[in-house]
Amino acid sequence: MAETVLDARALRKSFGAHLVLDDVDLAVEAGSIVGLLGPNGSGKSTLLNVLTGFLAADGGQVSLRGSSVGALPPSSIARLGLVRTFQLPRMPSRMSVREVLLAANRAQGGLFDALVGRPTDTARTDDLLEQLKLAPVADQPASAISGGQKKLLSIAAALANRPSVLCLDEPTAGVHPSLREHIVAMLKRANAGGVTLLIVEHDMGFVRNLCRRCVVLDRGKLIADCPPRELTEHPRVVEAYLGRKVARPVVEVPA
Amino acid sequence: MIPIIIDIVLRTGDIALAAVALSAGYSLVKFPNIALMQYATVGPFLAYLFASWGAPLVAAALAACIAVGLIAVLLNITVFDRLLKSGSAIAMIGSLAAGMLFTAALLVTAGPDSRHFDFPVEAPLNVFGSPVTGPQLLAVAISLAAFVLLAALLFLTDIGRCMRATATNPDLARATGIDARLVVRVIIFLSGVLAALGGIGIAVKGELNILMGQDLMLPVFAAAILGGLGNPMGAIFGALVIATAETLAATLNFGPLIGKAFLFIPANYITAASFLILVLALLFRPHGLFVNEVKRV
Amino acid sequence: MSEFALHVATIAALYAMLALSLNLQAGFAGLINFGQIALFGCGTYGAALAFSHALGPLAGFALGLVLVVLVALLFARLGRNLGADYWGIATLSIGEILRTIATNEIDITGGAQGIGGIPALFDTGSPLSGRLILFAVVLAALIATWFAFRRLTQSKFGLSLRLLREEPQLAAAFGYDLDGLRRRIMLAAALPAALSGFLFAHYLTFVGPDQLFASETFVIWTMVVVGGLGSHAGAVIGAIVVQCLFALVPFAKDAFGLPSEFVAAMRLVLIGGGLIGFLLLRPQGLIPERIGGVRG
Ligand SMILES: Nc1ncnc2c1ncn2[C@@H]1O[C@H](COP(=O)(O)OP(=O)(O)OP(=O)(O)O)[C@@H](O)[C@H]1O
Ligand SMILES: [Mg+2]
Repeated sequence: MAETVLDARALRKSFGAHLVLDDVDLAVEAGSIVGLLGPNGSGKSTLLNVLTGFLAADGGQVSLRGSSVGALPPSSIARLGLVRTFQLPRMPSRMSVREVLLAANRAQGGLFDALVGRPTDTARTDDLLEQLKLAPVADQPASAISGGQKKLLSIAAALANRPSVLCLDEPTAGVHPSLREHIVAMLKRANAGGVTLLIVEHDMGFVRNLCRRCVVLDRGKLIADCPPRELTEHPRVVEAYLGRKVARPVVEVPA
Repeated sequence: MIPIIIDIVLRTGDIALAAVALSAGYSLVKFPNIALMQYATVGPFLAYLFASWGAPLVAAALAACIAVGLIAVLLNITVFDRLLKSGSAIAMIGSLAAGMLFTAALLVTAGPDSRHFDFPVEAPLNVFGSPVTGPQLLAVAISLAAFVLLAALLFLTDIGRCMRATATNPDLARATGIDARLVVRVIIFLSGVLAALGGIGIAVKGELNILMGQDLMLPVFAAAILGGLGNPMGAIFGALVIATAETLAATLNFGPLIGKAFLFIPANYITAASFLILVLALLFRPHGLFVNEVKRV
Repeated sequence: MSEFALHVATIAALYAMLALSLNLQAGFAGLINFGQIALFGCGTYGAALAFSHALGPLAGFALGLVLVVLVALLFARLGRNLGADYWGIATLSIGEILRTIATNEIDITGGAQGIGGIPALFDTGSPLSGRLILFAVVLAALIATWFAFRRLTQSKFGLSLRLLREEPQLAAAFGYDLDGLRRRIMLAAALPAALSGFLFAHYLTFVGPDQLFASETFVIWTMVVVGGLGSHAGAVIGAIVVQCLFALVPFAKDAFGLPSEFVAAMRLVLIGGGLIGFLLLRPQGLIPERIGGVRG
């Protein structure tokens, strides 16, 4: 049994009267790949936002490797190794793709480093650009590339950040199938290198391929925690996706 | 006590109209329009000009307000709407620059000297034992009438409902068939009218000069931000807070607080009172006294 | 005439330092500082206060640094929870508060009369050679600032600034401490501004609150916008262009026999018109920012 890196207890979050996270408990083991599923609006992105400090929870706690991070600002949480991507990545218009990727790795990025002219490690940046087929647009403004490319860039940037736990919000939505393979391969490699992954995803093929454990959110409640192949049998999951009165468990999850 | 209250009311009147104009404009066009302060200067100058042509004061003031309202709409269409695409800060810088051009125009046409509106000099009236001049009463009446009309417009008429709907959610409002562009223009026109009216109110009870707008700027911003930028009725309350703070700073004896007989804040620091309130408000209540900060991703 | 040219060149170089400083804040980090002149004022009053207390220029420079660090940190602290436009208003009011203090604390600052008779830095016997040396020093300070800022913005630190400017949320997601970035950038930008003020005080030999009007900040803004937000060369060229135009205004007035209001109005038209004209028609400025220039 591996150690728990990310541990959320009794998380609650509501927007006005709308309860979006309802007592969510989630423990993620070091080195694992966990899929986070659920219908649209079930609270997946909100959960990522709360875990990574972008939203303050109304109740509950989050700890990273045993120490509580609930009160920290998002940048401090990222510096502790818990890094995330956004569902709709927004990119700067007056920075090139390469510059965004360079900036994503904070090493030697301080004021002092700049004044003494310390060089930065560019080999890894070039490598990532190559791997994600972003090399041809490397010098374009980052806001000018396509939606799918932005998605790739945000994943590459998150990896360049050298996280220990990486939360991805729908990494393959809008990405061409051939590139999905690349993403899967890259994430597998990162995982083999020790990165724990928590992935929000609607694509079941992707989830089956990558995750050995899935958790399902429905209307803010965690309703299932099982291997992906058991999802189709799980009565509450079927009910959440297809409504109450369906007898036959077919799961082709809506994208 | 009564003189203090009268001072507060008069000062509130000075600040409130421009603050309401700033806040109303911000509710639909999301940048703090610094040029509004110059609308409050151009308004009385135009009224003065029209009056010098022989128009009765009320007609001159009305014509000046309408003219300034039109200028405001024109500037919004030609300049600010375009600058806003590069961000609210850029639009704010543009509005500041537009304000400078107004000052330059006034400097060349009207010159740097102060002027007065011609009123027959009458003995001040007695209000609860304190002297109040006719023009001062007129200024307060102008502000009150403007607020009542604005409130009626915002809360009782169709166009008011459309305005509030557009301010809350422009996309939804458009989807329900509201002509958002028209609503924006009406509000911008009104903000110009209100600012000009505010300036006229100040000018009738004192003097008009080209620095009026500049002097008004920080108290007006302080009032609008205290009330929550984008909330016109809150701005009136903000103006009251600023006016109270300024008046109390000017008249209260702080001596007993530190065990001395007398301690008055030096007169020159009183203008700084509103700046200080503004900085404190921005530090602790940047979204106004009524709203707690909402964190969004 | 050559003395006049030297004067214009010295003032232009001092303003170029202020423009570089504002450009680092506004052009690179997106910090809309409307109180830039207060940073300059820390330098001028540092020099003046040291002089009025019979301390040497070195103490004056040190005092200016202390003051400017305090003001810069206050600005940065205010930036913590404010949007760009609100922060502009906040910095503007702090600038005005500081000017009010300078005007009213007569016992310390000399009030509206200011403090005069500040000695020239280089006493060589002839005033002209002293001014030439000062100009050389100002020029050296300007080049040093330019070089240092270029180094900053060409580095990864510069990338983090631009990320802060455009996508602060992404910067936070990458783990950049936004408050810390703001603090560091304000400090880095404040030093040359104070240095410019310090040199200005010893050049003009007079320091007063009228040098700290908010309108001076907008002169610097015009320089940066005309030159090009996010371009160091642009800031310097903008400063030179605006100062040269300002220098020409009195000649134009004499040539056409215009009234004296014309000078003040013309300055306003140059600043206001320059700002609006460039923002509308050439928002990238004379020398646009270079995108993709940092390659590691
Ligand atoms: N900032 C916000 N303010 C108010 N309500 C919000 C906010 N963010 C999310 N919500 C609400 O919370 C609920 C959950 O949203 P969330 O984005 O977490 O869903 P999701 O599971 O990520 O959905 P999707 O699969 O469509 O991305 C939604 O009903 C949404 O309307
Ligand atoms: Mg989502």
